[in-house]
Amino acid sequence: MEQRQITLENLNIIGPDYYAKNGYPHAEWTYLRAHDPVHWTEFPNTDPFWAITKHADIVQIAKQPKLFSIVKRLLVFVPDQPSEPDPVPPFRHLLNMDPPEHGEYRSIVSRRFTPRAVRELEPEIDRIAREVLDGVTGKTQCDFVTDVSSRVPLAVIAELLGVPRKDWDQLFRWTNETIGGADPEFQDGTSQDETFERARLGLFQYFTDLVNEKTKRPANDITSIVAAASVNGTPMPQFEMLSYFLLLVVAGNETTRNATTGGLLALIENREQWDRLKKNPALIKPAVEEIVRWTTPVIQFARTATEDTEIRGRKIKAGESVCLFYPSANRDEEVFDNPCKFDIGRDPNPHIAFGIGEHFCLGANLARLELEVIFRQLVERMEYAELAGPVERLRSSFVGGIKHMPIKMKLNPARQ
Amino acid sequence: MKVVVDLKLCEGNQRCMEAAPEVFDVREDDKAHLLMERPPESLREKVKLAMRMCPRQAITLED
Repeated sequence: MEQRQITLENLNIIGPDYYAKNGYPHAEWTYLRAHDPVHWTEFPNTDPFWAITKHADIVQIAKQPKLFSIVKRLLVFVPDQPSEPDPVPPFRHLLNMDPPEHGEYRSIVSRRFTPRAVRELEPEIDRIAREVLDGVTGKTQCDFVTDVSSRVPLAVIAELLGVPRKDWDQLFRWTNETIGGADPEFQDGTSQDETFERARLGLFQYFTDLVNEKTKRPANDITSIVAAASVNGTPMPQFEMLSYFLLLVVAGNETTRNATTGGLLALIENREQWDRLKKNPALIKPAVEEIVRWTTPVIQFARTATEDTEIRGRKIKAGESVCLFYPSANRDEEVFDNPCKFDIGRDPNPHIAFGIGEHFCLGANLARLELEVIFRQLVERMEYAELAGPVERLRSSFVGGIKHMPIKMKLNPARQ
Repeated sequence: MKVVVDLKLCEGNQRCMEAAPEVFDVREDDKAHLLMERPPESLREKVKLAMRMCPRQAITLED
């Protein structure tokens, strides 16, 4: 690839086309961490923002949810055409609520995602992962994304929500269209907004029906819990309820899928780490942490200052927004030794791929367990894997996705 | 030093218990319970690690 000199004037860290073509702009982020870690960024079709690239600064901002509100701008969204400034989002869920409301809504399901609760799901996740891998056993080639990495998280979140198996494929299409609305593959000939809107309305209608059913016959699933939930003593309004499901479905799918795909890619590209894990399966937990740090599937969320303030000497005015680039924080030289090395034994590994503070990823413990189960089985059953063609990346500067990853591989049947 | 856990934020992620088991215990209610409110100076580094590790940033230290 042609190397161009990075300068503060020409760097591009938010254009979706860049991500589709090159993956993450790590060279640009490294440059920013060294030269302008709180960087005023202007880009067509979106309001300007401060790009925050240092680990310590993101932690400081995330720890102060009152000073840095998530409501006004939950992420830096870059539409293809100029659009109305600050449109009202057509959903209201945990990612556009501030405290104390955020805490009220979050606590409705949070106990389902604690390490204690999640551990009980391990046999079920183990079974799901085994079935998915059985599906490609005997093949010499597959698309790791459509055949493996997308299937496990989808099955897990669908089971948790009590969605019947016949509807999983539809659920999968909606989640792709929600996150991948900017990518032509998922647009089906319509615009980004129309794609998202179609998926959102489909999901809203689907969960309206499922909530009705679960209200009549409650089960031990999250849909039944949310359907029966009260907030401050009154039943949860329908718009907030349907938004809750939109969030759970999308957040439960895209991120873990991309960590799984990116994790296998990292192990293919760093063969010695694959061998190390194969020889020493006890490294699975630090390996999962390193995969999460390395891939950091959520590229950014934003916050908006509610008062004039300062970050690293830069004056941030009330109403200006900051964009938190998590993958950059997770390669911060001041926090990680040799940050650009993929090292499955890394310890300590204080990455913030799940965020930190008020909006820390609700599903982090579940995601960790899913990754642990998948990679444990892959290491056990996979004789070898190599790329059979180039990876295709998602056109998005919000979630770093690999849409397709053709691999050649040999997978053994599960040990009985 | 005095340790305070914000129970509204705490979600039982157990990181504090891993960092400083002498001070924190996450129980069946998925909340961190303090085994001592005023840990000895010798545990300061461990408590500070627990503070840093807490995903919800629910632990504060009052000197």
